[in-house]
Amino acid sequence: MTITAPECLLRLYEEHPDLEDYQGGAPRWCAGCGDNAILAAVQRLCRDEALRPEKTAFISGIGCSSRFPHYMKTYGFHGIHGRALPVAEGVRMARPDLHVFVSTGDGDCCSIGAGHWIHAVRYNMNMTVFLHDNHVYGLTKKQASPTSPRGLRTNTTPRGAYLEALNPLTVTLGVQNASFVAQAVDWIPEILYSIVSAAFHHKGFSFVRILQRCPKFLPDLFDPWLHDPQKVLVLTHDNGLQLSPGLAKVHKNRREHDPADLDRAREIASGADPIPVGILYRNPGVPCYEDLRRSGKLRTGAFVRAGLEAELDKFTIWPQGHA
Amino acid sequence: MHSELQAQLAFHLTGVWSAGRPEASDALELRPALLAAYRNLSRLRYDFPLVLARNAPHGGAVQSLSGLMDRAIEDAAPRDGEGERIRGHVLRMEQAIRALVAAGGGGSLATLWDTAAGRLESSGEDLLADSLSRARAALKADGEVLDCGKAMPARLFEHAWRTVQESKARRFREDIDRLILRLSDILAAGLALSEEGRSPERLRAEVGAAHREAFDFEAMSRLLAGSLPKGTLPESRRRRIASLVSVLESQRFFPAPGERAGGVEPYAFVFESCAAALRAFRERRPAMIALAQAVAVARLEVENEYVESKHDAFFEEFGENVLGPKGVTLFPDYLVRIGAADMQAAGHAGLMEALGAGLPLKVLAQTDDILDESPVRDGQLAFGARSRQLAAMAIALSEVYVLQSSASNLFQLRERILRGLEYPGPALFSVFSGAGGACGELAPYLVAAAAMESRAFPAFSYDPSAGEDWASRFSLENNPRADLDWPVHAIAYEDDEHQRISEELAFTLVDFVGCDRRYAKHFATIPRAMWNERMIAVPEYLVRETKGPPEKVPCLPLVGRDGTLHRAIVGEKLIREARRCREAWRSLQELAGIHNSHAERLLARERKAWEEQRTAHAAAALGPQPAAEAPAPAAAPGVPAQAEPEEERPRDEPYIETPRCTSCNECTQINDKMFVYDSNKQASIGDPDAGTYRQLVEAAESCQVSIIHPGRPRNPAEPGLDELIKRAEPFL
Repeated sequence: MTITAPECLLRLYEEHPDLEDYQGGAPRWCAGCGDNAILAAVQRLCRDEALRPEKTAFISGIGCSSRFPHYMKTYGFHGIHGRALPVAEGVRMARPDLHVFVSTGDGDCCSIGAGHWIHAVRYNMNMTVFLHDNHVYGLTKKQASPTSPRGLRTNTTPRGAYLEALNPLTVTLGVQNASFVAQAVDWIPEILYSIVSAAFHHKGFSFVRILQRCPKFLPDLFDPWLHDPQKVLVLTHDNGLQLSPGLAKVHKNRREHDPADLDRAREIASGADPIPVGILYRNPGVPCYEDLRRSGKLRTGAFVRAGLEAELDKFTIWPQGHA
Repeated sequence: MHSELQAQLAFHLTGVWSAGRPEASDALELRPALLAAYRNLSRLRYDFPLVLARNAPHGGAVQSLSGLMDRAIEDAAPRDGEGERIRGHVLRMEQAIRALVAAGGGGSLATLWDTAAGRLESSGEDLLADSLSRARAALKADGEVLDCGKAMPARLFEHAWRTVQESKARRFREDIDRLILRLSDILAAGLALSEEGRSPERLRAEVGAAHREAFDFEAMSRLLAGSLPKGTLPESRRRRIASLVSVLESQRFFPAPGERAGGVEPYAFVFESCAAALRAFRERRPAMIALAQAVAVARLEVENEYVESKHDAFFEEFGENVLGPKGVTLFPDYLVRIGAADMQAAGHAGLMEALGAGLPLKVLAQTDDILDESPVRDGQLAFGARSRQLAAMAIALSEVYVLQSSASNLFQLRERILRGLEYPGPALFSVFSGAGGACGELAPYLVAAAAMESRAFPAFSYDPSAGEDWASRFSLENNPRADLDWPVHAIAYEDDEHQRISEELAFTLVDFVGCDRRYAKHFATIPRAMWNERMIAVPEYLVRETKGPPEKVPCLPLVGRDGTLHRAIVGEKLIREARRCREAWRSLQELAGIHNSHAERLLARERKAWEEQRTAHAAAALGPQPAAEAPAPAAAPGVPAQAEPEEERPRDEPYIETPRCTSCNECTQINDKMFVYDSNKQASIGDPDAGTYRQLVEAAESCQVSIIHPGRPRNPAEPGLDELIKRAEPFL
């Protein structure tokens, strides 16, 4: 319900937060790490959208990127390996009033968490998911991840990775109910921010893969793309990404892509060079699981207690037989 | 002039039959020819009776019996011989129910079905019971069955109003219940964290009886008291929240379903007079403001956004001004059912004042007789004037939803009725029931339909929420042939030579008045032998303009009970009234954009201009060729073809391309005074003298996106400058 006049007046008292209001501590990431760029973009988003810290939750798994919640002055849950998404889904079901963000790495999401990832896409619950993809396990000192390019020498693949890298974009776009898929790179902050913002405003499972540098273990991996704007294909559209004039001068390799076009999105997603950057697919019409399952019943103490009792009664031994 | 015609003209003009009245139209049970076919309504399938469906989805609250039966047949009868049998039986059942209702039977559809089924099945027909039981299982709704009569509009509107209010109440209750739950959670959490919440007694109560002996609650209390968090619930906030819960729980506007005994008595919102509704509204206003305030504060509290220093003062002044008309619409609307005929001038004024004030009233003004004589002047006719006034005045208030309709058309207008009841503001529904005149055996449905058909009581709606202009707001679309003065219908009859004659007749106000016995004196039936070509149809007469004495007399075709065609001369008073009725209808047409005089004038002007232009072009084409067109003007000066080149920065000063900074901390770790982050956490040069040129060059080299430009050395005495300048060269 809305009470118009009071609400209008109360807006007068809205507070305007600063970036510091969301900064939870000095990041322990290496200097030059792409996670810093993602953190800055997300903190900007929280400030610009004036998200209330107590109404915002960052959930992560395990890995360098999964330290993300520590650096946000909001609610956070540094979870267990590969299980960021199930935890986030639980939060979403229990507290639909919260803004839920998930930070997960390429190892966390695409290896041990792959099963959860696929089904989280299908469930399409309203949350914003950042796949911090640096192509390597950094926290455990350089092992190959599912997205490591073929031939990459790591501690677990000293003769070079044997397999072609998994493409998280084509996988996500292949799952039923995918509703928002985008790709960004950490070294173009303006585009990163625009995509993070678009993902936040999409109602549903917003999946953003962010290619990021690991200065410690793969310092040169992205150099060719970093230094040649032509090697980044920027996807623009009236319903998608739009570039500022300044950035448009630098990034001339652009393509008009309608995010409603799933077939074209899959085709673009399968390309790795140039790296496609922008909103590949967006379908606001996919229903969210939490909306489909909302019972409309208030979870009062008595209601929860009755549910628990009923569950526990299933395992109760009744000396005189079931009542 | 022929003496017969003289006599006819004299009757037309004076109402007096000089040569003795030939036949009285009421003695022959005559009715207008176009109504001749509708003697027994129970044998016809039409919108009535209605079923006021219980627990139906929003759009299905009002259904027609025929529609329900059709859907049951569709579901229960397959498309084969068996289906045909079921269909026949169900249609007989429908007719039986219709007959029961017409005979005064009432109750729910289920009750009537049972009664009718008992009667039909007593005939012992094979498989009838099977057909009926299958159709009964396929019936989609049940509820009170209502025929078109005097009581119908009030019950229909109350049912529709309840449907709308229940949906509003459900939303409001959900909101309030959620707020109460979350406020209670805050209180419970506050208590659990307080000293009282950690007292041994409280802890003992929390653990329950089963294992009470296993705990030392004194020790537990001491332990917990040592770890009390800093931010416990302040007393002022606790009191405020407790008071909010109390206000929300004791509100009487939206009772919980089934909440009657023991709980607070809910307010009633159905009234029989405007004054009573207004009195109740005024009495409840303080409670309404208190509840609206409690909801507003509670919403802030549950979001943890209530700041005493800012909000206390505001809510102390919270009153009706802050609540505003939109806030009022969140509360239940007041349904007022009044008889338009009983309303005196003071009631009239009170109603307009209440509607004009934007109070949440939904007023049903029912008229049972629109052919009563003018209250102002004896003997003068002013059909439907009071109802027309009511609706017209309400429309003039601009912010009132207005719907006028005969009862016969209410089913067709059900969506508009629901929209009016949902409209966030006052609404007036002016309805003519058709049940109050002197129309003899004519059913109220037919009287009501005839009133609308004859434009005596046209249907229209005015919805201020539909748009900004009259084209969006005003609609005449439910009237038959709204583009004509009078709707036209085909009629077929047999002449003296037994030949079939088909012709089209317009249904005018005179036809409608012809149904009412009180006006029989205005008609004189002429024996067939005296019919002549000077007797012309009323619509034809109405469009004639005569300057001298009339040469023709208007007459109305009537049909007797035996089916014979009669003709009656119509008195001049009725003709005058029909003209007035037509003018009123034309005004409505103009409002609805039909034959709009402004639009037609504009169209004529534009057409004239267009034709003049076309003529001029044609003339020019025949004349000498025009001179070559003037050259196009030069492009406006001062518009650069390209954007201005970027401002050249002095290569001597260090700078950073801040918008491209990826916040990676490389430079800030080298020197966090020289390199600083801005409000977006992107780097710029803070104090260039806070570090060395070497640091500037190293930062430029380590920046992975190469956005740091070190400029020239600021301190010529810095050691190793030659090498540094060389290294800085690619970044200048």
